[in-house]
Amino acid sequence: MRLPKLPAIGIRAPRLPGANLKTLGPGSVSSLLKIALDVAYVLLALITGVLLLLWVASIFIPIDNLNVTVSDGADGRQMPLTRPLLLFGVGAITAYFGGFLMILRGLRKIFRTLTLGDPFQPDNVRRLRQIGLILAVVTGGVWVAQGLVAARLAPGVMEPQGISDLLTPVFSILVVFVLAEVFREGARLRRESELTI
Amino acid sequence: MAIRVQLDRILAERRMSLTELADRVGVTVANLSILKTGKARAVRFSTLDALCRELDCQPGDLLAHEPGPGDIFDAED
Repeated sequence: MRLPKLPAIGIRAPRLPGANLKTLGPGSVSSLLKIALDVAYVLLALITGVLLLLWVASIFIPIDNLNVTVSDGADGRQMPLTRPLLLFGVGAITAYFGGFLMILRGLRKIFRTLTLGDPFQPDNVRRLRQIGLILAVVTGGVWVAQGLVAARLAPGVMEPQGISDLLTPVFSILVVFVLAEVFREGARLRRESELTI
Repeated sequence: MAIRVQLDRILAERRMSLTELADRVGVTVANLSILKTGKARAVRFSTLDALCRELDCQPGDLLAHEPGPGDIFDAED
């Protein structure tokens, strides 16, 4: 049944700002984000490089008369800086930055495909899974390292992280893995579409 | 895939080249090759309609079901 056409009453839905914002392809939001990622990647690579050099140097530099002050603001407690402690500290920070460097490397490659307007590629599924795994390792590593520091180096000064502190990171990691599956489905549909004549 | 597109046989019967058919149907030669070699996953009704119109045949003349030993695995894809 055909419905009668109603006359226009002159009310128009307001246009949302950014409604016609380009999200994919050259000159889009994703290309801007890619530039930001490139800058962050270079900075993080420099920081990680410096930290790596520092870690190598900390094997050789003399640390006989150096102390570490553990303090919660009120009264400090001094303890000698041992070589294993120095190597653990610098190594943990280097690994932390190295992990995020690898995450940014994967993200840059994903955003490169976004700027080209073709994100549903099997390589992006692999990259997202790698990012999820690295994020899981980094999060777990930070949790364990903070627990170690709180229990061994600064008991009473630093509170160890509880399981509840892992909720948000675990949720983020799961979101990345779900996103990888979304991309896998997208890649499958793209392949189906390519082979539909 | 157990479905075979018998484009080779019909083209030979009509003495038509794949390029000529591609021009008439409006599908690229590359896509017709995918169809001919059995790599295609699906055929649009519009493509089938154009092929039948240009080759003066029925869909049943173009398609054939030839189950083979690997079809069980194909179905799981």
